[in-house]
Amino acid sequence: MMGPSIRRRLVLLVLASIALVWGIALVSSYRQASREIGEWEEARLAELAQILALLDSTSLSTLANARIDVREEEKGGEPGASLLDDDDTLPRDALFQVRAANGEVLAGSPQLRALAAWDLPLPAASGAQDIVLGGQLYHSFTLRDTTLGHSVRVFEPANTRSDLVSGVASRIARPTLIALPVLALLVWVSIGFSLAPLKILSVAIRSRDINRMEPVGIGRTPIEVRPLVDAINQMLSRLHHSLERERAFTADAAHELKTPLAAIKVQAQVALAEPDVGLQRLAMQRVVQGVDRSARLAEQLLLLARLDAQEKLPTEPLKPATIARNTLLANLRNAQQKHINVMLTGDALAEIDAEPVLIGILLDNLLDNAIKYGRAGGTVEVAVQHADERVQVCVRDDGPGVAPDDLARLTNRFFRAPGNQATGSGLGLSIVARIAGHFGASLQLGVGIGERGLAVKVSFPAYGAAHRSMMH
Amino acid sequence: MRVLLVEDDELIGCGVEAGLRQAGFTVDWACDGHKASLALDTTRYALIVLDLGLPRVSGMELLKRLRDAGNDVPVLVLTAKGSVIERVGGLEAGADDYLGKPFDLTELIARCRALLRRAQGRSIDLIRYQNLTVNPAAQTVEIDETRVSLTSREWAILLQLLTHLGIPQSRSQLEESLYGWQEEIESNAIEVHVSNLRKKLGAGLIKTVRNIGYVMEKP
Repeated sequence: MMGPSIRRRLVLLVLASIALVWGIALVSSYRQASREIGEWEEARLAELAQILALLDSTSLSTLANARIDVREEEKGGEPGASLLDDDDTLPRDALFQVRAANGEVLAGSPQLRALAAWDLPLPAASGAQDIVLGGQLYHSFTLRDTTLGHSVRVFEPANTRSDLVSGVASRIARPTLIALPVLALLVWVSIGFSLAPLKILSVAIRSRDINRMEPVGIGRTPIEVRPLVDAINQMLSRLHHSLERERAFTADAAHELKTPLAAIKVQAQVALAEPDVGLQRLAMQRVVQGVDRSARLAEQLLLLARLDAQEKLPTEPLKPATIARNTLLANLRNAQQKHINVMLTGDALAEIDAEPVLIGILLDNLLDNAIKYGRAGGTVEVAVQHADERVQVCVRDDGPGVAPDDLARLTNRFFRAPGNQATGSGLGLSIVARIAGHFGASLQLGVGIGERGLAVKVSFPAYGAAHRSMMH
Repeated sequence: MRVLLVEDDELIGCGVEAGLRQAGFTVDWACDGHKASLALDTTRYALIVLDLGLPRVSGMELLKRLRDAGNDVPVLVLTAKGSVIERVGGLEAGADDYLGKPFDLTELIARCRALLRRAQGRSIDLIRYQNLTVNPAAQTVEIDETRVSLTSREWAILLQLLTHLGIPQSRSQLEESLYGWQEEIESNAIEVHVSNLRKKLGAGLIKTVRNIGYVMEKP
């Protein structure tokens, strides 16, 4: 089955419009013609009546027995020619009757007797009149009380008029009917020609290399096609940027994976070459550290890829304080190694609408960062606050913190603040930002405890509020 | 031979440091460009192993500064970004050699040796001096084809003098080539090591230049 076609539709619409307009024109010309012919015939009948009014009774009776052929009169006495090129082949005998002032019939066409119109009463005034005689419509014209005191009435069969009108109409319609197919062809070809830029555009897009992202250009673009080209180019540019981002991410990811791999290889080779058993052990422990680091990095990359896919995750009401407590316990060993005091404060009952595993990862990343970059012997605080239909989870430390210039770049993938000594991929905060974004939370970075360190505030819509906003 | 290692990654840094130590180098490890600049201002190095992706001052910037200052110390560049553009960029900025991560530690050490050798104007690794045959890669010394065993300090002093034939090396220069940042310098250690070397290799080999230091004459 053929799909919708602009060309076909346009041709049909154009032709239908033309046919409609022509039809209306035809009908109105037909009417005009028929009215004019009617007026003309009436005038002619009136003229004939006036001529008859001037004749004396002898001439009238002679004339009555002859026949008045309207066509002959019309064509000026050329019966042969008139018969040849006129469609009107029916006899057009005009009948008449002349009466004296007292109503006595002076003369009349004998056919009137046959039509039972001999004694037809005269209308009161002069004028045209349609009348049915013997089952046929006749136009008649009556001229009353002429100078000679006669009244003249002329009859003519009505078909003479309609025949003439239909002749005129067919003469107007015939070229139109011939023109319509020609017009259809011309319209078809010109619409096809006008739609050529679309074809060129589709060829340009189809033959395009998948890796080529520069804008589509098809030379002089008609204004109707330009929005399409613009839209395609905009989409290409968006696609280009997203591909560039993906490529940059892949390159960065590969680069980030190479670093722990290089470390593993170097440490393994040191262990192999080291004669001292203690140093050998140390190198092997570092190999294990390197493997852990690569594994964590791979996990984080996978998580980011999954978050990027933006699958809508099922959510449930949960208490950040509860998840924070579990995360704190999991990170306690690391904190104790650095003699960091970890605290959980705030609203233990505040609820948000989210996915517990992801919120756990978010809190784990924040806590891991705070402990990693915090001050040895310092404090790390996790605070949950519920206010204004928002639940804010804030993780603060009192370590060296981050330079104000670097704060904004902190959530960039693979960004690591200069001069930091701890191991890390620079992915943690970008994962936090992604998870926060996923649940409609905002992320804010600031100064940590006592004007030192870093504070990361994640502000979620409170459970009830999230629910209500979803209802609206 | 004192080498400056500039590497921000802790695991790679300590691995390379250990590897270079095993190979008989004295290693200073700077973990960012800034610390590396400071080290370069205060110490003379035989070789720099430089990671390009450094925080604060990038490796490339450090390299340019180094070359702009007229320092022609051999530089071996390490980077995880193995693109040709990067390699060419690094080499054009004044690097002498290039290794992509993850690299082989033995290859890194071999390349370091090759760079040092070239800097000293030799193309084969063996150094022959009078009746001595010194192999820096194997860290062995032979007198008339008899292996002599040296401590790592003695070895380092011998190598320093051998690679600067005819140029007297001061006590502090020798100490610099001998001790990394973390190591404590023992007093009179240089004199002790030199006298041991003289005992093992022959008294006439190392000459004392009064008030300056020690020298091995050009043959």
